[in-house]
Amino acid sequence: MPPLFRVHEATLRNGLRVRVVPSSETPVVSLYTFFGVGSRNERPGLTGISHLFEHMMFNGSEKYGPNQFDEVLESHGGRSNAYTTHDQTVYYEEFAAEALEQVLDLEADRMRSLAISDRMLEREREVVKEERRLRVDNEVMGLIDEELQALVYQAHPYRWPVIGWMGDIEAIRRQDCEAYFRTYYAPGNAVLWIAGDVDPEATVRRVRRAYGNIPRGPAVPAVVNAEPTQRGERRSVLSHPAQAPGLLVAYRGPPVSHPDALTLDVLEFILAVGEGSRLNRQLVYEEKVAIDVGMDWSWRLDPGALLFHAELAPDGDPARVEASLYREIARLVEQGITERELTKAKNNLRAHLMRELTTSSGRAHALGNYETYLGSWRAGLRLGDRYAAVESASVQSAAARYLLPSQRSVVTLFPGASA
Amino acid sequence: MKHADRILPSRASFTTADGLDVEVARRGRVPLVSIRLVMQPGSAADPPQRLGLADFTVKLMRRGTTRLDADALNEAVEFVGASLGVFAAEDFVALAVTTPAEHLGEMLDVLAQMVREPAFPVHEFDTERARTLAQFANDLDDPGLLADRALQRAIWGSHPYGHDVAGNQASVEGLVREDIVAFHRDCFGPRISRLVLVGAVDIRSSRPLVERAFAGWRGGPVRTPVPPSLTQAAGEGKVLVVDRPNQTQAQVRLGALAYRRGEPATFPAQVMNAALGGGFTSRLVREVRVKRGLSYGVGSSFETMRAGGSFSISSFTKVKTTRALLDVILGVVDQMRERGPTKAELEKAQEYLAGLFPLRVETNEAVASAIADLWLYSLGEDWVDDYRSRIRAVTRADAALAAGRFCFAHPPAVVLVGPAEALQRAAEALGQVTVVPATELT
Repeated sequence: MPPLFRVHEATLRNGLRVRVVPSSETPVVSLYTFFGVGSRNERPGLTGISHLFEHMMFNGSEKYGPNQFDEVLESHGGRSNAYTTHDQTVYYEEFAAEALEQVLDLEADRMRSLAISDRMLEREREVVKEERRLRVDNEVMGLIDEELQALVYQAHPYRWPVIGWMGDIEAIRRQDCEAYFRTYYAPGNAVLWIAGDVDPEATVRRVRRAYGNIPRGPAVPAVVNAEPTQRGERRSVLSHPAQAPGLLVAYRGPPVSHPDALTLDVLEFILAVGEGSRLNRQLVYEEKVAIDVGMDWSWRLDPGALLFHAELAPDGDPARVEASLYREIARLVEQGITERELTKAKNNLRAHLMRELTTSSGRAHALGNYETYLGSWRAGLRLGDRYAAVESASVQSAAARYLLPSQRSVVTLFPGASA
Repeated sequence: MKHADRILPSRASFTTADGLDVEVARRGRVPLVSIRLVMQPGSAADPPQRLGLADFTVKLMRRGTTRLDADALNEAVEFVGASLGVFAAEDFVALAVTTPAEHLGEMLDVLAQMVREPAFPVHEFDTERARTLAQFANDLDDPGLLADRALQRAIWGSHPYGHDVAGNQASVEGLVREDIVAFHRDCFGPRISRLVLVGAVDIRSSRPLVERAFAGWRGGPVRTPVPPSLTQAAGEGKVLVVDRPNQTQAQVRLGALAYRRGEPATFPAQVMNAALGGGFTSRLVREVRVKRGLSYGVGSSFETMRAGGSFSISSFTKVKTTRALLDVILGVVDQMRERGPTKAELEKAQEYLAGLFPLRVETNEAVASAIADLWLYSLGEDWVDDYRSRIRAVTRADAALAAGRFCFAHPPAVVLVGPAEALQRAAEALGQVTVVPATELT
C-alpha cells in the first residue's frame, strides 16, 4: 500500500515551523497551531494564565475586531476551538478549502498584534470561573484529581490544575497577560500544521506572506524541575457531599523522552483498556468492589504520573478497592504478563495509531502532538515499530520500577459535609 | 475522488437467506472496517413497568453467548485490536464494531452470536443490575445529567420518550432475567434490523462472511410500533426546580416539543437554530457569554426521533445570576420568534451548516451510522447528499416561520438544578414552580 500521506516541511526565518499534509478526500482544511506553552510554564500567583489566555485569543487583534475570528470562520463554513494542557496550547480551525488565505490572515494577525483590554479580561475571567465551577467545584472527580496532583507534585508546576486556582484566576492582571503573550506566543515557539485539500508549495508561500514579518520573539525560559525525591506513600482524605466514596491512586512516572514511556503505554492496555483488561475483569466483574475502573498514563514533557481511578457504589469501600488494585499490581510485578497479552496490547496500539491518522484533522493533530512530545513527527510514524519491539520482560520490569508503594499518592473521598 | 455533491460513498446491498438486509460501502484506504447492526426497538418499546429493558438487554448481550462467556467474547474482540460498543436510544439499539479488515469474518461471527444466541447468564445479570443501580445513585452527583433527564421528563411526561434510556432505580430493581430473555425473543429479529459495513470491504468478499455468520437468525417481529405523537409538552409553562443544596452553580434548561426526524421543517429549523444558539457566533453565545460573561457555555438544539422531537436550550451559571441568565435567554428567544434571523445571519448559518456537514460524516463509523439512519427514519436515499443544497435553499421567510413555530410559541418547560431556595426566587413569575429532591430523578 502506498503511504497514506506525505508531510511537506518548512521553517520561516522567524523560527515558525510549517507542516503541510495534502489530501483530497474532502474539500476541507484543518489548521492546527501548537504553542509550546502550558501550565508547566506558570508560577504560583499566575496559575491558570495559560488557559485564561487561550480565551483571550478570540477577542480581537489589530486588523480584526473582537469576535471577528469566529464570525469569519463560521461564515466560511468553518469552526474553531482551542485547548490548553500542562505542556502546550493548541488552536484549531476546520473550514472550506477556499477560506485558507483568510484563516491564515486571521491567525497571523492575532499572533502579531493581539488586543488585550481590561474589559475583555474581566469578562473572560468570569467565563473561566464558570468553567472552573463546572469542571472542578461541582464535579466530584474534578475535586479528587485536583487534590491528587497537589499531592504527587510538591515543587513542579504539574502541581496545580491547568484551569488554575480560583484565587489566581481572580488576580491575573492585564500586564501579566501582555508579558505572557510576548514571551510565549511568538513564531519561534509555534508549529503550524495544515492538513487537507491544499497545494503544499502554495500553502507554504501563503504562510510566509502572512507570518513572515512577525518578530521571532525571545527565547522561552526553561522550566525547572525541582521535584524532590518522594520518600514514602502520601495520602489525603476528603469529605464532600457526594453519593459514593471515591478513590484515585497515582505513581510517579517518567517523562515522555524516557524509553519507559512507551513500555508503560503497553502496560496501560494490559491493565485497564477494554472490558477484558486485568483490572476490569478482576475489580469490576470478579470481586465487584468497583462499578468502573480505569487508568490514565499520559505522555508529559516532564516526569508524569500513572493514575488509577475507580468509581464505587454508594456502599463501596475504598480500602477494599485499594487492596484489590495493589494485589493486581503485585501479581503483574511478580509474575509478569503472557505473550498473548503482549500481542493483544500491540494489536490495539497499532489499530489506534491507524485510526488517529484516518482523517485530515486527525493527522494534523496526531502528528503535531508527536512533534511536541517525541521531538519530531517522524518519530511518531515509527511508534508502531517501537511498540512492536517491546518485550514482556520489559513490561514486567517497568511495572516493578514504577508501581512502588513508596512512590504512591492516594486520595480517598468519603461522603460527608464539605470542610 | 472528489464529488462536490456526494457525501455518502456508493453502496451495494443484499438480503441474507434469512431476511437480514445488508448494506456495504467501500471507502478510504485505511485497512479498517466499521460494522453497525441496528435493531429497531429502543427504549420507547420498554413496557411501562420495565423501563430500561431495551438498554439492559443490549448491555447484557455483550456479557456472553451460548458459546463464548464474557471473558472469551471480550478476548475475541480485543485480541485482534477491534473495539465493540453497544448503545440504546429511544428508537433503536445498535451494536458497533470497528475491526482491522483481515478480522472481519471473526467479528461478524461474534456479533451474530450476540444477537442470535446470547446466554444472559444469571451472575452477569446480577452484576449488571447492581452496577446500573449504583450508577443511578452516582448520577445524583452530575448536575448537568440531572438537568437533561428532568427536561426530558418535563417535555414528554409519561410518553414512551419521557424516561431515561436506562430506566430508573425502581424499574431496574424490578427486572428479572426472564424479562431480558423475553424482550430479546419477542422484540429482536432480522426483519427489523439492518447491517451496515463501511471501509476496506466489498460486497463480493463480505457477503459469504455475513451469510455464514447470521445463518439461522430468523423469525422475530416484522415491524416495531411507532409511539403515538404528542401535541402538548407535559410541563408546558411550568418550572421544575431540582434541589441540590450544595451546588455553587445552577444548571438551566428550557424546552418544548418540535418536529420529528425527517420532516421538511428540518432545514429551516436548523438554519434558524444555527443563528440562535448553534455556532459560536450565535445570538445566545453573544448575549450570554461574549457580552455578559454569564456562562462558559450556552446552546440550543433540536432532538429528533421517529414519533416527534424537541427543542431545548442549555446553559449554567453561578446561582446568584440564574435569573439574569434566564432573562437574557428568554429575551433572545422572543426576538428570534418575532422577527426570525437577519439576512446576514441566514447566510452565515447556511455557510456554516453546509461547510461543516462533510465533517459530520468523515469517519467510517459516522458513515455507517448515517446509512443506518436513512433506513431507520425512512429519510429517503438522497437525504444526506441533498442536505447542503436543502440548507442553502432556505429563505428568510422559511427561517422566520420556523422561529415562529419552534421558539417557544407556547411557554417552555423550565428546569433548574441547584439550591432550591435561591432558585425558587430566581424562577418567580416564570410559571408554576415545583420543587423536587434530586433523588426523584433516579
